[in-house]
Amino acid sequence: MTAPRTVLAAAGLAFAFLALPVVGLLQRAPWTSLGELLGRPAVAEALMLSLLVSVLAAGVILVLGTPLAWVLARVDIPGRRLLRALVVLPMVLPPVVGGTALLFALGRRGLVGQWLDAWFGLILPFTTAGAVVAATFVALPFYVVAVEGALRLGDDHLEQMAGTLGARPLTVLRRITLPRLLPAIGAGLALAWARALGEFGATITFAGNLPGRTQTLPLATFLALETDPEAALALSLVMLAISLAVLVPLRDRWLPGR
Amino acid sequence: MTGRPSRLFLAMALTVVLTGGCGSNDERLTVFAASSLADVLPDLADAHRQAGGPDVVEVLGGSNHLAAQLGDGAPADAFITADAALLVGLTIVGPPIPVADNHMVVAIPTGNPGGVTSPDDLRRGDLRLAVCATGVPCGDATAARFGYLPADTEEPSVRAVLSRLVLGEADLGVVYATDVAAEAKVVVPWTQEQACPCVAYAAVALSDRGVGFVEFLAGQTAQAILTYHGFSTR
Repeated sequence: MTAPRTVLAAAGLAFAFLALPVVGLLQRAPWTSLGELLGRPAVAEALMLSLLVSVLAAGVILVLGTPLAWVLARVDIPGRRLLRALVVLPMVLPPVVGGTALLFALGRRGLVGQWLDAWFGLILPFTTAGAVVAATFVALPFYVVAVEGALRLGDDHLEQMAGTLGARPLTVLRRITLPRLLPAIGAGLALAWARALGEFGATITFAGNLPGRTQTLPLATFLALETDPEAALALSLVMLAISLAVLVPLRDRWLPGR
Repeated sequence: MTGRPSRLFLAMALTVVLTGGCGSNDERLTVFAASSLADVLPDLADAHRQAGGPDVVEVLGGSNHLAAQLGDGAPADAFITADAALLVGLTIVGPPIPVADNHMVVAIPTGNPGGVTSPDDLRRGDLRLAVCATGVPCGDATAARFGYLPADTEEPSVRAVLSRLVLGEADLGVVYATDVAAEAKVVVPWTQEQACPCVAYAAVALSDRGVGFVEFLAGQTAQAILTYHGFSTR
């Protein structure tokens, strides 16, 4: 299809608006000293911690997000609209607010957190587990939205047919729904993982900032911006490279129904 | 449905007229100040206005952060920094003037949930300690005063450390003496002398209009207000 020129121009403007900051980052990057900057032990530490936290978050998201997406798409529960709004809330909430809300809920004096402490001696803030909780909180909706969208667009003929042929609901889910959902699950997971990797506000507010324990790449980047801008730019490049490496192979996959 | 867009438009137009209509924007002074001055700056601004000076728009933030913004061309008339070294490279009008000092103290949440009793508790593994990160003024001052501390979190600003104490997430933390004076939910566990190494605030004018405010800060009225809020003045 040939596009009208005005539409092309507007689309080009939008693309330039999104791409220009990346170009700005690239042209200011300390390319010559990149090896030295990234070879620092502190950088490797933050990178490893970020990978650990984001992969753990992706695991939790897969296990808890898939049932949630299925329920939202297939089960007729009262107040589903409100439920869905609550599920996507972390996508629009400022992450710092999300982190504060997590403190009130799961912090040491929080609604649930005080009991976690009293019963299990479990304190989430200032721990790597806390960083995983923060990353999961902000990234989970991205996964649920992708998988729920695919579930709603895909027709449920096969599922109904299997049901009439006597398959039990769990068998239908396992043998028919999930296999057909795999591309959406993969895409949603990659998107959520990328979001978890870039998580900053909720992490620093809820989990705090300590190298090796809670200082992920975005936190290290933020603090380096104040003291060592060159190192901060180098760290940003790492984040950029990892994100592109994940998002480019996905191509159109995160669009539901592809 | 037809009435709604027009009402929305009216509200938007009204907002523009009301905010733009004040017209006094140009007469106000924009002052960038270290976030540890959050409690004292409104009082200083009031006194400045009562002395016949213009209104002050307060922009609070970490000194490093503010200095970086100023370096990138953020418009401001004066800057009060917790670290005079950050003034290097900024276009300033007149010399920086020392304003006051602030001291690092060990503080605990009121009620002392961690049972903190002595300076040795700073190095106890089972207590949760919050400090400022190295590289920001409060963090550098903490390291200079207490040496290495096995902290559980290194926060980007002293306000963040304070909030850890207020929320009871940390059992003890290192904050400014002025923070303890201003926050009822935080106390010092033992008497601490106001010793240096400490943080020395410097004020500098960034425009001709800012000169008067910087001079005001060095004057008796402003110095008395700073003392009242727990700062050390000369």
